[in-house]
Amino acid sequence: MANTLLSLNEATRTVNSGSNKVTLLDNINLQVKEGEFISLMGPSGSGKSTLLNCIGMLDSFTGGGYTFLGEPVHSMKEKNRSKLYKEYIGFVFQAYHLIDELTVWENIETPLLYKNVKSLERRGLVADMLDRFNIVGKKDLFPIQLSGGQQQLVGIARALIGKPKLILADEPTGNLNSKQSTEIMELFSQLNKEGVTIIQATHSEKNASYGSRIINLLDGKIV
Amino acid sequence: MVRTNLKIGFRNILKNKGFVILNTLGLVVALTAVLLISLWVHSELTFNKSLTNYDTIAGVRQHYSQGNEIRTSSGQPWQLAHALRDQYGSHFKHVVTSSRPNSFNITHNNNIVASKGRFVESGFAKMFDLKMKMGSRDVLGDISSILISESMAKNIFGTENPIGQVLNLSPKMKVTVAGIYEDFSMNSNFNELDFIASWELLKTSQNYEERLGWGNSWFLLYVQLHNKDALDNVSTIIKDVTKDNYEYARETGLQDLFLFPMSKWHLYSKFENGVNIGGKIESVTIFSLIGFFILLLACINFMNLSTAQALKRSKEVGVRKTLGSSRIQLIIQFFTESFVVILISFFMALLLAYILLPKFNMITLKEVEVPFTELSFWFICLLIVVVTAILSSVYPAIYLSAFKPVKVLKGLSSNNKTTIGFRKALIVVQFSISSILIICTITIISQINYAKDRPLGFNKDLIVSVPINTMKVINSFETIKSELLTSPYVDQVTASDVKVTSAYTANGGDFDWKDKDPNMQPEFYTIRATEGFGKMIDWEILEGRDFSRDFPSDSLAFLVNETAVKYMGLENPVGEFVRWNKNGTYKIIGVVKDMVTQSPFEPITPSLFILHNGRFLNWVNIKIASNSTTAIESTLAKAEAIFKKHDPKNLFSYTFLDDDYERKFNTEKRVARLVGIFSFIAIFISCLGILGLSTYMAIQRKKEIGVRKVLGASINSIWKLLSKQFIILVAVSLAIALPLGYFISSEYLMEYSYRVNLSVWTLVLVAMITLGVTLLTVSLQAIKAAIANPVDSLRIE
Repeated sequence: MANTLLSLNEATRTVNSGSNKVTLLDNINLQVKEGEFISLMGPSGSGKSTLLNCIGMLDSFTGGGYTFLGEPVHSMKEKNRSKLYKEYIGFVFQAYHLIDELTVWENIETPLLYKNVKSLERRGLVADMLDRFNIVGKKDLFPIQLSGGQQQLVGIARALIGKPKLILADEPTGNLNSKQSTEIMELFSQLNKEGVTIIQATHSEKNASYGSRIINLLDGKIV
Repeated sequence: MVRTNLKIGFRNILKNKGFVILNTLGLVVALTAVLLISLWVHSELTFNKSLTNYDTIAGVRQHYSQGNEIRTSSGQPWQLAHALRDQYGSHFKHVVTSSRPNSFNITHNNNIVASKGRFVESGFAKMFDLKMKMGSRDVLGDISSILISESMAKNIFGTENPIGQVLNLSPKMKVTVAGIYEDFSMNSNFNELDFIASWELLKTSQNYEERLGWGNSWFLLYVQLHNKDALDNVSTIIKDVTKDNYEYARETGLQDLFLFPMSKWHLYSKFENGVNIGGKIESVTIFSLIGFFILLLACINFMNLSTAQALKRSKEVGVRKTLGSSRIQLIIQFFTESFVVILISFFMALLLAYILLPKFNMITLKEVEVPFTELSFWFICLLIVVVTAILSSVYPAIYLSAFKPVKVLKGLSSNNKTTIGFRKALIVVQFSISSILIICTITIISQINYAKDRPLGFNKDLIVSVPINTMKVINSFETIKSELLTSPYVDQVTASDVKVTSAYTANGGDFDWKDKDPNMQPEFYTIRATEGFGKMIDWEILEGRDFSRDFPSDSLAFLVNETAVKYMGLENPVGEFVRWNKNGTYKIIGVVKDMVTQSPFEPITPSLFILHNGRFLNWVNIKIASNSTTAIESTLAKAEAIFKKHDPKNLFSYTFLDDDYERKFNTEKRVARLVGIFSFIAIFISCLGILGLSTYMAIQRKKEIGVRKVLGASINSIWKLLSKQFIILVAVSLAIALPLGYFISSEYLMEYSYRVNLSVWTLVLVAMITLGVTLLTVSLQAIKAAIANPVDSLRIE
């Protein structure tokens, strides 16, 4: 039986909009086991992105409990939290969010810099990653010189370079055509088979079907 | 990590060339100004410091009363050194009398060389630690020996061995070169000291022993203490030495001696009523402040442009944070990027400063060099770079690194109100500083023009003055005069003790006249001249008559100026008598309209004009008949030939009276030029800043402008829309700067007795200049944005 990667217990996220209190996530209970591939579905504004951000510790729940690998994230200090997500979580964005000033190679390398990986080791890791994604020839290009699919490939490579346990993908194929989408989703399945846990937010039934579990959100609640 | 940061830094520079060029240009200009100012300040602060005994040497000065005020002088009688040595010798290492620097024409084998030197007592060599290149320095006790500087030795002897050579300082002074000393630092009171000769030589040849008493404070007196802490103590101990020895000083009450340490000579030389009130240190402070402000202006540009670009960078910050970057790492990254720009700017500025230094030296009249080999110089450079980096990059780095990834990745605007407010405040600071500097520049310039337009009371044109170097010229003055007058170009010839533009001979004390207030201690300035002097300078006689050959009694007659009449309180001055102690009783024969014979910035002093044909004459004045080049050149040639004939031992030289007068404005003109340059730099940098910001805003509001145009906005209205906010900011700056600038300028003008009134128009002018320049700068971008085709700007990316 796989270990529990993270669990949410009555997790809630509210924001104050003027004098109104708006609930974005309402008492979410969720357990994610290592090796799962979860698809979050729901209409715009249902809280998919907020849930991903909160799980990814870019944002935090305002109530309830969040445990990641047995550690209580909700009571952690910012510094420890950042250490945790630096170590275990990789992000993939709909808009790729590559750094325009950096080449493909450097974009992929960046997370390693923040983890203080030695230069020689970095070189090896990045080279392996380029190899694996068949983008060795593009290593010196800047994001603007790549197609959307290629950019997203680099985005995923960058998310994977730190060997995360969990990949959070927010509509990873939202800006891609169907052929590119399929390629990316195939890649996700492949990664999942290799043991990486994936949580993706998506509008597409087709993409969602790649997952091992589908969670539907509506107005901040799991339905 | 650092390498990556540098790499990104460079790529960002390439990507935002426009902004970087604006930033760098401003920074380079500012840093160049700061470097030049720093070099100047450093040289001022280290003045005299190259002298070995800097800490323990002091000059003996005296406070004395003149009229109702206390004056301070460096002059001392030669007897004082003896008194100090005899009675207080244990307090001093050395006590040395020195002549003031004298100009001499040194003759060697019919070769005449102009030189400046001092006659000093023998302790001088040890006290000032003369570094000898050749020969011995212990010869100053010997009346027939002289030490000359290395440069002078080269000048006179070339490659010849100078030791043992004979030089003639004057017919009575024949000396042998006994040593060559290394030139004193240019940055000291002893710069350009060509020779040092024995005090005994001067004293004997001029017969000072008999001629000069305690009342003749003609010399300088230096002392060296055993340690610097004793200064105040010894200063108190010697306070009354002059009074103890000099009866007149005891009677008149005040003649207090004190020690003035070398460290204060240069920067704190001003005294007012017996109190040391600073001096050049004020300029040092003011220019340091100006330098700092200019740097601040450039740093503000840096801050504004970096934070204005925040939107561009916010996505990157968001991404980096999700990739695990900590805030500190981002701060370091942004800091590194700024540092790259600052460092590049600094080295460009260093190069520029190096190129401009000779020009700068011409304005400041200093010989400052870039001390590349000195560690302290690089330390100052480092300090400048660090201050610049902190001022310009800390805030943007903190601001940019604070973005929340969730927000910025969603594309929310990150230009919140506080930053925009902060940027506006910074622009206000910039334009306030610039406007204040412009006000100061205009004030100084109008003060100079005001003083220049002051009615002189005489005609300074076409008068050339030749210095009299020997009694021979005085004795044969009538011959010289008639020889000169044979030239058709020479109109008139006279001789005088001073030039009419610089009457420095003050006579205090013993004057008496009818109904004089017995408590008054009068002081008059005198000008002695041969007959015809007044006519030559075209003075205006208000009452009475000029001196005339027809009245032999005119040798005991005064012409007085209007101020003197008021000063003496005479109602009918002509015909009154003034008794001037031993000199005799003089009759006032006429009143002359006031003339500016001293500083054009000061009130006119009571002056007496005396007919004189004897030994006090120092100048032969020649009025040239016409201002044609031929007339001037042939007069000078003729004068040179005649003076060579009557005084073959001395070099012929001359000055024009109008040049002399012009020179009185040199200090003011220098300050005006410097402040003018710096205010130009300030407004230039400020404009670069708003140019950058307006460009940025035009880009940011591209879509809005497009929509407005589609809805029917005219180019004019869009131009107004974009320019308005900057004009408002500059208006706010002016509201701050005008009163402040007015206040500072008024303070500055208080220095001058004869001063211009600051008019409202000056302030209006400054406001117009500042607003005009701003409008021009902002319009460049506003108009470009306004005429852009909305179709292009509304196309969805």
